[in-house]
Amino acid sequence: MTLEIKDLFVSIENNLILNGLNLKVNGGETHAIMGPNGTGKSTLAQVCMGHPSYKVESGDILLDGESILDKSVDERSRLGIFLAMQNPIEVPGVTNFDFIKAAIQTRMKKDEHLRIGRFILKFEKASQDLKMGQGLAHRFLNQGFSGGEKKRNEILQMKMLNPAFAFLDEIDSGLDVDALKLVGQNVTELKSQDLGLILITHYQRLLDYITPDYVHIMINGKIVKTGNLELIKRIDQEGYDWVKKELGIEDEDKKPYSLGTCPSKH
Amino acid sequence: MKILEFLKDKENLIAFDNSTTINRADVSIKNNSLTFKKGNEFFVFLDNYDAYNELEFNFHSQQKIKLFIIVYQNKSIKMDYSFNLDDSVELEVFTNFVSRRKTNNISNFIYNLKENSSLKLLNAITFNGNLDLNCTVNLDGEKSEATIDLLNIGGFSNKHKVRQDVNHQSKYTESYINNWLISLDNSVLDYSVSGFIEKGKEFSKCFQSNKGIMLSDSSQIAVEPKLYIDEYNVEAGHGAAIGQIDELQLYYLLSRGLSETEAKSLIISGYTLPFIDKISDEDIRRHVTSQSSRLIRRKA
Ligand SMILES: Nc1ncnc2c1ncn2[C@@H]1O[C@H](COP(=O)(O)OP(=O)(O)O)[C@@H](O)[C@H]1O
Ligand SMILES: [Mg+2]
Repeated sequence: MTLEIKDLFVSIENNLILNGLNLKVNGGETHAIMGPNGTGKSTLAQVCMGHPSYKVESGDILLDGESILDKSVDERSRLGIFLAMQNPIEVPGVTNFDFIKAAIQTRMKKDEHLRIGRFILKFEKASQDLKMGQGLAHRFLNQGFSGGEKKRNEILQMKMLNPAFAFLDEIDSGLDVDALKLVGQNVTELKSQDLGLILITHYQRLLDYITPDYVHIMINGKIVKTGNLELIKRIDQEGYDWVKKELGIEDEDKKPYSLGTCPSKH
Repeated sequence: MKILEFLKDKENLIAFDNSTTINRADVSIKNNSLTFKKGNEFFVFLDNYDAYNELEFNFHSQQKIKLFIIVYQNKSIKMDYSFNLDDSVELEVFTNFVSRRKTNNISNFIYNLKENSSLKLLNAITFNGNLDLNCTVNLDGEKSEATIDLLNIGGFSNKHKVRQDVNHQSKYTESYINNWLISLDNSVLDYSVSGFIEKGKEFSKCFQSNKGIMLSDSSQIAVEPKLYIDEYNVEAGHGAAIGQIDELQLYYLLSRGLSETEAKSLIISGYTLPFIDKISDEDIRRHVTSQSSRLIRRKA
């Protein structure tokens, strides 16, 4: 399958965030998107998922050549798009088990029904793989989870749902080294010709565990440079200023949100 | 009399209709007045019962009793109930009204508590019809206390008008009200929730919380919380959070492929869970769960 983002302009509350973004991801490829805080990385992931707050001004998002802009959030999910969110949501009163069961059932054909025994085994296995601890099934969805647990729970859901394209939005934040390694291993195991991965991060460290085929740099709402692993090294050492200088990008909008929230080396 | 399936095999069942009374419990019934003797769990079933006289429940000192009251009706009903708790009684009362077709229900419940008595009320309102419910708790004796937990799911174009009054008439009395309100379709939930603390009834506590979700644009929830307090040395407060379903929670579930109906019904069921978990009898719990999920699933 192919996910193609074409000349995408997106605004939120009348602020233009994505400024003509282009990206093409084929099944089997892993893309890393790096860029300073506030540049629109999460916006890109959210708008592909169909978050209602973001407005597509122009451009298109195509799945195997067909626009998904008119598809609802749940339809996009069932078409194979997955987003591991930067900030997973807590849903009190809804157990992980009921939630994932419903998510799987909704993908089944009318005459199929869930083989519950097999489902439980798969859930328990995924839960062990991600070291979620016993009793996850009956805990409420993300409620009272630590930051790291929430992130691992996103990967668990990805494992259970087998998406065609997965955005992992800062899946590395809030993870210690061991958890990062665990998440990296689990995601790497999921790699296949049927999965296109889009890793959003500002750290090199995630990319030590999941090797990308392409590295994109995103600044001011568009992808300004695409390269390979060499690019990561340079960003890790020098930050983004050299990219801006090289491409003549001005820092017109230094907004407070971009200050100090990101501990990466600039 | 047609006893509802889930109550049929209950021990300690007391059932009324306008012509017969079934009494499987050690309870004396005289002129609409029930006095509880042995036992600590009773099921009361009222089948289209609308006696002119009020139905009176009497509990003597030191008794510890759980009462599950199910009212079934297929015609409109008006009834008065009173509960008299002698000193040091521990009483838990569950109430639920069931109707298969749209009818009206007017019910007045009065609870009178002597010293050291405690009342736990669980009101599950999933009634299909118009309801006018008045619930008055009189904390007459010192150190008496009442906790009221109420779940109300309104559907169709039903109007549920509920009034809860707690009168703190002695020192060291405590009351806690928690209402979970869900309005679906064109239903209207209209609540008046009041706590009264008279002068001199010091060291009392009076708290209420009202939470509500309106599921459609034409759903309505109105809550009028009131605290009338004429005494300085007390603790009191109220909180209210009434609004739409949480957008972010909804988006999260949708992003995993659940349809809007599935997602909303999971979120609402989750929201009702803290109430449902308080119901100790498994059959009753299942009954309330199925009633509420039938309403929610139909029109989430
Ligand atoms: N819900 C929102 N409401 C208003 N502004 C938003 C919202 N989400 C993001 N933005 C703004 O959009 C810009 C891009 O944000 P985001 O996509 O989260 O960037 P990144 O993920 O690259 O850090 C920022 O200026 C941010 O303030
Ligand atoms: Mg982000």
